[in-house]
Amino acid sequence: MSLPDRTVLGNGAVLVSIALPSNPFLAFRGSVPAGVAAEGEDRGVAEFTSRLLLGGTRRTSAAKLADRLEGIGSTLEFHASEEVLTFQGRCTRETAAETVRLLVECLGRPAFPAKEVERVRGEILNDLRIEADDTRHRAMRALAEAVFPKGHPYGRDPKADPGRVRRISRRDLVAFHEAHVGPEGLIFAVTGDIDRDLIERSIAAPLSRLKGDGHGPVEIPPPGTHRPRTVRIPMPHKSQADIAIGTQAVSRLHQDYYAVNLANLLLGRIGLFGRLGKNLRDDQGLAYYAFSSLDTRTAGGLWSAAAGVNPANIVRAVRGIREELDRLRTDPFSADELANGRDNQVGSLVVSLERNAEVAGELHRLEYYGLGMDFLERYADLVRSLSDDAVRGAARRSFDPEACSLVIAGPVGKTRVSL
Amino acid sequence: MPTRVETLDNGLKVILRPIPDAKALSTWVTYRIGSRNEVPGMTGSTHWVEHMLFKGGGKLKKGDIDRLVSRLGGKMNAFTDTDFTTYFETIPASAMDTALLIESERMRNAAFDPREVEAERTVVISEREGAENQPEFLVEEELWGLAFHVHPYHWTPIGYKQDLARFERDPLYRHYLRYYAPNNAFLVMVGGFDLAVAMQHIREAFAPLKPEPAPEPMPLVEPEQRGERRSDLRRPGSADLLAIGWHVPPFVHEDTPALIVLSTILGGWRGFTPFAAGEWRSRSNRLYRALVETKLATDTTVRQELKVDPALLIANATLAPKASLDAVEAVVDREVERLRKTAPAKSELDRAKRQVRTWFRYENDGVTYQGMMMTVMEALSSWDAADGVLARVEKVKPEEIRRAAARHLVDDRRSVVRFHAQEASA
Repeated sequence: MSLPDRTVLGNGAVLVSIALPSNPFLAFRGSVPAGVAAEGEDRGVAEFTSRLLLGGTRRTSAAKLADRLEGIGSTLEFHASEEVLTFQGRCTRETAAETVRLLVECLGRPAFPAKEVERVRGEILNDLRIEADDTRHRAMRALAEAVFPKGHPYGRDPKADPGRVRRISRRDLVAFHEAHVGPEGLIFAVTGDIDRDLIERSIAAPLSRLKGDGHGPVEIPPPGTHRPRTVRIPMPHKSQADIAIGTQAVSRLHQDYYAVNLANLLLGRIGLFGRLGKNLRDDQGLAYYAFSSLDTRTAGGLWSAAAGVNPANIVRAVRGIREELDRLRTDPFSADELANGRDNQVGSLVVSLERNAEVAGELHRLEYYGLGMDFLERYADLVRSLSDDAVRGAARRSFDPEACSLVIAGPVGKTRVSL
Repeated sequence: MPTRVETLDNGLKVILRPIPDAKALSTWVTYRIGSRNEVPGMTGSTHWVEHMLFKGGGKLKKGDIDRLVSRLGGKMNAFTDTDFTTYFETIPASAMDTALLIESERMRNAAFDPREVEAERTVVISEREGAENQPEFLVEEELWGLAFHVHPYHWTPIGYKQDLARFERDPLYRHYLRYYAPNNAFLVMVGGFDLAVAMQHIREAFAPLKPEPAPEPMPLVEPEQRGERRSDLRRPGSADLLAIGWHVPPFVHEDTPALIVLSTILGGWRGFTPFAAGEWRSRSNRLYRALVETKLATDTTVRQELKVDPALLIANATLAPKASLDAVEAVVDREVERLRKTAPAKSELDRAKRQVRTWFRYENDGVTYQGMMMTVMEALSSWDAADGVLARVEKVKPEEIRRAAARHLVDDRRSVVRFHAQEASA
């Protein structure tokens, strides 16, 4: 794969691209710095705004937007996350210009019609109700709230709470959009059936027309101290309980990131979920899923382990996870495990970039975190240069059970357990 | 794209699609055995067998499959459907033999260690209990159970918990031996490989495997439904749900192209295969306009189940907080009646066709999805069947949509499941 091409447009937007013509369509992914972090005290407006960007523009109604996009076979989605408002889509060479034009119209000139505002309000309220009945969602949400200080963008629900959702006004949304959505800080990553001419004519030209007073990325404060705790969420009507254990993690740009990432792979991801999967699923038969996750961002991150188990097995499962965390000290990763992990990370670069959609996501990550356009070429060396002791040390420091909170959501009954 | 098809002497059909510049390859081995081949008392056994086939046997010890693929940075998984069970590995193109070793050992030599079978019992029950946590699963299971009284589509591939709790190792192993044979399987490989080299390596790996007597055709046919069937579920939950399923013909039926366009007009198209669409939802379809834009529902989908045997076309809706199931059902009825009475406008028809056509490109993104598409199509009919269906979709006329709706979306042949969300006790 040749190096991606990076262009800064006149309005400040950054365009990253690489041609992969064997897949005969385009996939794109992008973002503007209008995520939860940009909300300040106005909780919920980023999520609300993201859902309204397909809700009609000053020129085109919601219905006509849908008809136009689907009439040319394109897809376009907007989602809010902790740091940015993301967009992604697919189109063909022939429909690229119109698709990007519609994207720019949605980003630049949303109308926030009252009818759509109320529809989206109902949709978010219903989603909150549905998530409140979902054991896995409840466990992971409560974990994020336990791990990050109150109010920090990494800990709060992007949708906010029902009371707040009912109070968000159209004026709040317009103000948030005006302040945070514009070409400043915008990243557009695209791959597939593209060439220089198509990029300039069908993508750069319409993107350059995006105007706005977005302030660009906001500084996200590092999260404060995490005081571990145990949270029980009784949901007696459910068949299965979800367990979530976690703590704060390093940021994506931290010097230990690659060591922590490899350690997490070995603990709860590689193959059928690493050491955690072997213990809880393979050896004990306790859970269909038991795995760990490392979710790193610019100012910090969340490390978590999760399992879904029959309520009778909650205690055994929590003990099983604890055993594996303790083993990181008593029986650290062997040289063979570490070699497997390194091979996996290097090899997965080929496999994980086989689809246009995945490549577009990776291009976006390169630009967002400033990893450099040659990052994919350097990646293997970065992984291979990690010493065994660096990874073992990162595992001990980063997955310390004494620093973890524990959440159990489901039919917990009278079960009392601590990590 | 050039594709070579060959059948080995032992009956294994091999379908190879080399892509010269691809750095990865995806190998899919599929068995023509699904939950439709199960009988009451052994529901879920096909899915359980799938789980057991990750535990080694023959030249592979427990954990070897995992290690071999992981070391390559590959991805692997398996799916048990009503009609077939499939296993895949996507790995760097230089490691073709690893996939062939895993799949050839898996075909005849799985260990089925009794202790491993027992350990897996709680895992498959856990998978089912995780699904039970979701009201949508309960509705889906109820709908198929309601619509099919005779045919094994009556149950879903995960099976019933009581069967999973008591099923024993030996019948499970017999089930494996009976159906996991080269003459009941096919292999799809897509990606960066040389055709002649791949064929030679596939022969070396699979030709020694002995076939089994051909399985008896599954004899059960669902009698025609005469009269609407309804079920009301009252369970703790957060939102009322509606699911309506109409009996539709199997994938190979001549009405399939018209039904694909019909379901796209009614509820949007998300591709022939699962997964490719992700979270994307169509907003230009009739049910979205009639239910979501009017705030009666927060989500609605329509999907035509493409199956070997006659199956269902299913409309789902997640109700908005104050909407009533009666009101939402009435809207669905109204929209279906419109389809039965009036042919759609050409502009609407063209939009639906374009969606189906472009989705086919998106669904072929990368070697894994191409392998999946060829696998699903071969399981249903022929690896290249989607091309033929797409060509026929292009020719569907407005009146054919109306006729398909009148013929298949019949009230007397539908099943309705209404989930009444109840407040959960603390």
